[in-house]
Amino acid sequence: MADIEMKAGDDKPKDTKEEPKEEPKPEPLTPSEEIKANAAQIERAVSSLEPRFTHRVLRSLTALRKRIDDSALQTAIDSIYPKESETKKTLLTWLPEAPATSAEATMEVDSASKPTSTAEPVPEVEIYLRLLILYHLLSSNSTYDKALQLAHQTVEKMQALNRRSMDAIAAKVWFAVQRAYELAGDLPDARPLFLAAQRTASLRHDDEAQAALINCLLRSYIQYNLYDQADKLVSKTTFPASASNAQFARYHYYLGRIKAVQLNYTDAHTNLEQAIRRAPPARTAPGFYQVVHKYFVVVELLMGDIPDRSLFRHQVLEKALTAYFEIVKAVRTGSLAQFQSTLQKHAAQFEADKTYSLIVRLRQNVIKTGIRRLSLSYSRISLRDICVKLNLDSEEDAEYIVGKAIRDGVIEGRIVHEKGWLECSTQANNYGPEVSELFGRRIAFCLNLHNQSVKAMRYPLNAHRKELAAAEGAREREKELAKEIQEGDIDEDDIGGDF
Amino acid sequence: MSDLKSLYLALQRAFYAQPSDLNTATELLPQLKIGLIQAGLLLPQGDVNFQDLVVARDILEIGALTSIRSRDIPSFDRYFSQLQTFYTDYASNLPPSKREYPIRGLNLIRLLTQNRIADFHTTLESLPADVISDNTFIRHPVNLERWLMEGSYSKVWNAREEAPAEEYKFFIDSLMGTIRNEIASCEETAYESLPLKDAVNLLFFTNQSDLVTFAQQRGWEIDITGGAVRFAQKGEEKMEIPKQKLIAASLLYARELEQIV
Repeated sequence: MADIEMKAGDDKPKDTKEEPKEEPKPEPLTPSEEIKANAAQIERAVSSLEPRFTHRVLRSLTALRKRIDDSALQTAIDSIYPKESETKKTLLTWLPEAPATSAEATMEVDSASKPTSTAEPVPEVEIYLRLLILYHLLSSNSTYDKALQLAHQTVEKMQALNRRSMDAIAAKVWFAVQRAYELAGDLPDARPLFLAAQRTASLRHDDEAQAALINCLLRSYIQYNLYDQADKLVSKTTFPASASNAQFARYHYYLGRIKAVQLNYTDAHTNLEQAIRRAPPARTAPGFYQVVHKYFVVVELLMGDIPDRSLFRHQVLEKALTAYFEIVKAVRTGSLAQFQSTLQKHAAQFEADKTYSLIVRLRQNVIKTGIRRLSLSYSRISLRDICVKLNLDSEEDAEYIVGKAIRDGVIEGRIVHEKGWLECSTQANNYGPEVSELFGRRIAFCLNLHNQSVKAMRYPLNAHRKELAAAEGAREREKELAKEIQEGDIDEDDIGGDF
Repeated sequence: MSDLKSLYLALQRAFYAQPSDLNTATELLPQLKIGLIQAGLLLPQGDVNFQDLVVARDILEIGALTSIRSRDIPSFDRYFSQLQTFYTDYASNLPPSKREYPIRGLNLIRLLTQNRIADFHTTLESLPADVISDNTFIRHPVNLERWLMEGSYSKVWNAREEAPAEEYKFFIDSLMGTIRNEIASCEETAYESLPLKDAVNLLFFTNQSDLVTFAQQRGWEIDITGGAVRFAQKGEEKMEIPKQKLIAASLLYARELEQIV
């Protein structure tokens, strides 16, 4: 028996090895075929009222839009819509006249197993195709105006249709509209449009679109440095709790930026942490990850903590955060001179990242750290020496600054004015109530994480029925067993050690 | 529109007279504002005549400066917020006004004196970085804020002479009062005792009697014979246990733990 079993075991791995070799043979779908498949999925979604299929289609959007081109779109539109269709004509007008090579056309005809549909597909498909065309137009510089016009038309159609099944696609369309405006450089003009749309979306309880629109508005305000208007928007609207993770990530990022400008560093820190947590993993979205981390580092410095060194060694972040790493080093050593020189060296990059004004605020942090280091290393130091070591301008300044530091609790000590020195006392044991507060914050974060994960668990719709069926079966079996025991068919001895 | 024009000319005359005739100016301004509203210029919507916009902006600027000179801060607030639309939204259409940056700088200093640091920074964000570093009117309040935050009060004291415009001096004087209180509280914690002469210098007083009154206000002991000011020693504070917070936190933890199935 052992031999036969071994042989069967040997055969099995061979089979499995061959199968994976066969699998890659079917080619990846061409873009037009993928579009057609997606259109079919959308129809299914509408007919079965399950948003899952639409989400699946939209998830493939980012990968798909890099691969599409004019001919792919044209063939897709050709095949999805019946011959004489109004929508087909309007859609085709947006694409330049791409000469469809005959070879491709014949290939499509040959392999097309499904005939061109005779029925007019649902409007969602049209909106989806418009979305693809829009992204395609946005990818090249020359077609921005066309993209804007298309965006306007699509938006009007969407508002007119007002179908719930279109919500998810509508949210994506809004984002594309905003991108179109941004690339054309006209973002302020889009604001009234977005504001009106956000009102209608909240009236219609269209959560996804609402979330997308709030993010679009915040982005347009923050881009133009209108922080107080952004703040008012945040206070007047409630961000829908059922929005997708990506929208939440963006929302928390914008919120963190607003709070950081308003000097509310603790809140900004929490928001940016949430944004990092909800963002897609670093490999799939390196741009967002880097940007959020830049702000995260600056806010942590402003709060007085030094960010972890391992953060800067992360693969995705290493190159992007070199300038910030140097600033962190300067703050840590407390040397104003180093801080100034690093600031000047990387000023251009900070300007581009819009963190310049925040970093300039770090000056006093540098001084505080410098004073703290001095107080830890010296028991008595003259004010003149402090002035020299910290690169301050005069002894008077040093006196005032040290006095302020003592009052703010940065260091403990006394200035003896007549002799002109600072006497530093060792820090008392400060294991006071602040520790429990810190703990409390971290515990709250973990509990929040736990609760949100529980809420986000999904139960497939009919799974409980399967459970019921299983339970039914179990009960049947128990009843039979009980009956048999009663009838004396099975003795207790036979059953064995179970009971 | 014609009486609007005549009122406008009268206002200009009153304002530019040396010394400025503030009373007439303050009387003329409300009438002008009503005129502007009737002409639809106070809150311009859409395309309005170019020249009218310039005139309207001018009137509002004069109003802002007059209110500063008459020490009327709330009305300066109102004028400034009305001027915001002219500065931000129509910046591309209108020629830049000479008075724009002084008025912006005045607004920043006003926020500083009222200790609204968050608003100060938010307003600062809306200005481009090169303006902040180059324009004297803006640089002045920015530097003031930086020195205040660091604690180099002597620089602030020396800066009062360098105010770029007349109106700034008014704010700086009120700032001095705040600064004195700050320095005093710093000294209470940092020093055990200070010789009188040095205390006078540190607090920017000119003579000892001012110092004595100030010290009595703050509750310091003056030791005339020894010539020193003694600060009340703060004893070891008993750590207040934040009972409420601890109880609330513990209850929260208990509830969350119970919810874990």
